[in-house]
Amino acid sequence: MERARQMEEATTYGVPREVSVDLIDCDVHPYLTHPDELRQYMREPWRSRTIPSRRQIFLPPGDGRRLDAFPEDGSPAGSDPKLLETQVLQGIGADYVVLIPSSSISIIPDPVFAAEVAQAWNDWQIETWLGEYNWHGRFKSSIVIAPQHPERAAREIERLAGHPHLVQILVGSSAQAAYGKRQYHPIWEAAARHNLPAALHVESPVGPTPPSPLGYPTYFLEFHTLYPTIYMTHLVSLIAEGVFEKYPDFKFVFVEGGSAWLAPIMWRMDKDWRGARAEAPWLKRRPSEYLRDHIRFSTQPIEEPENPRHLLQIFEMMEAEHVLMFASDYPHWDFDDPKRAFPRMPKELKRRIFCENARELYNLPATRRADSLDSTPSAAEKQKIMGTGN
Amino acid sequence: MGKLVVGNVSELPPSSRRIVRVNGREIGVFNVKGKYYALRNLCPHQSAPLCLGELTGLAISDEPGEIEWTREGEILRCPWHGWEFDIANGSTIFQSNARVKTYDVQVEKASVARLIEGVETYPVDVENDLVILEY
Repeated sequence: MERARQMEEATTYGVPREVSVDLIDCDVHPYLTHPDELRQYMREPWRSRTIPSRRQIFLPPGDGRRLDAFPEDGSPAGSDPKLLETQVLQGIGADYVVLIPSSSISIIPDPVFAAEVAQAWNDWQIETWLGEYNWHGRFKSSIVIAPQHPERAAREIERLAGHPHLVQILVGSSAQAAYGKRQYHPIWEAAARHNLPAALHVESPVGPTPPSPLGYPTYFLEFHTLYPTIYMTHLVSLIAEGVFEKYPDFKFVFVEGGSAWLAPIMWRMDKDWRGARAEAPWLKRRPSEYLRDHIRFSTQPIEEPENPRHLLQIFEMMEAEHVLMFASDYPHWDFDDPKRAFPRMPKELKRRIFCENARELYNLPATRRADSLDSTPSAAEKQKIMGTGN
Repeated sequence: MGKLVVGNVSELPPSSRRIVRVNGREIGVFNVKGKYYALRNLCPHQSAPLCLGELTGLAISDEPGEIEWTREGEILRCPWHGWEFDIANGSTIFQSNARVKTYDVQVEKASVARLIEGVETYPVDVENDLVILEY
């Protein structure tokens, strides 16, 4: 009977019942259809207030969106789940996507208001992207928190931990202080207790701190190139302050800040640590040794050196097979296509980056149930992407 | 193995050090709380004069933010890049293969020391013991 049912289902979809998980996209942005959409998830007095929103003072090409990602009805790019399914689940063949709501929470100076907005984002995504839109179960997402209110942030983690599709917590790169500092430890403690990694994502240039150590640059080109400076600061802080000694199971994901800089900054930290160890004696290992167990980086926007082999050398130096995870950054203008953005990689390395590192981090299965999205020509396309069978 | 008279015990009181030269090598002899240590005056990292470095303690920690101060005076810190060495065995405090050579130091009666073959001539205060470096 069961077999007959399986056969029938397979016939319905025209594909095997279970398909292997080969591609996980760790940075996809779901957008509100309208900024006011959040209000219905808020209580007074915040509900009636204007929510501080992302202010674009540096203007990226195409207003920051892939121009083909706007739905036909003119609603915002990334707000229509059907189009996202077509362009990401089918288009690049992602088996799972990890959603990162672009909340710009960190620009809200009032910590209580920020915590209320964070809660609204979560209730919104639970009802929409993780609820109604998630009939296939292939959307995973991030718990939005307001790090400027650590106590409320920890409570929000408590409230939502255990949701089957919330696989990490999310903080912005623009912060009042580097994330290793003690004021943030209650957040990391709550996340670690629930086995949730923390993801750090780029946020609006207008925030509690300027986007570069020397303040505001002149051009978008500079602003975007310099993301890594803030990422480095958070990374070095998290390691130096002993966050991973204090919370031995805690993991941190650096999303969209590049990764080619990783090996050199860690060489530098390792070298300095040999002489400066005594001021942070809780570090039981070389700083770089915390990477493999605790730190992950997403690929997009992948660095594109003139000579693609140089990127493979960089991958080797940073142990990409353990730390790097694919991301497309859909629907943004600098989207990376897994078929096009990378140099030719050894098969095993490719599998680690495109799938296994994220699968292990987010505890995702090795196979998933096939659904109607698989029964289209783009399912065959997916086989080509992963190079299965060669 | 050779022996060298480093000096009278009174010349090397606790918290003092003396650098001697043997066969073209410099060796630092230290008195830490009445115990003698000797190490080559050459840091394995970039060949700094290690024995000119500060004698300090060992910071250890079980928890981020908490530091316990131990082994005061038993850690030799390189004067160039700050590497810490255990004065007792010459190994780095951080895990590495780098190691500085250490030597034994003995205290012997002056009269006995005189009789040992190979001991260099040294003006001996008969009231005192001698610090002898074995190299």
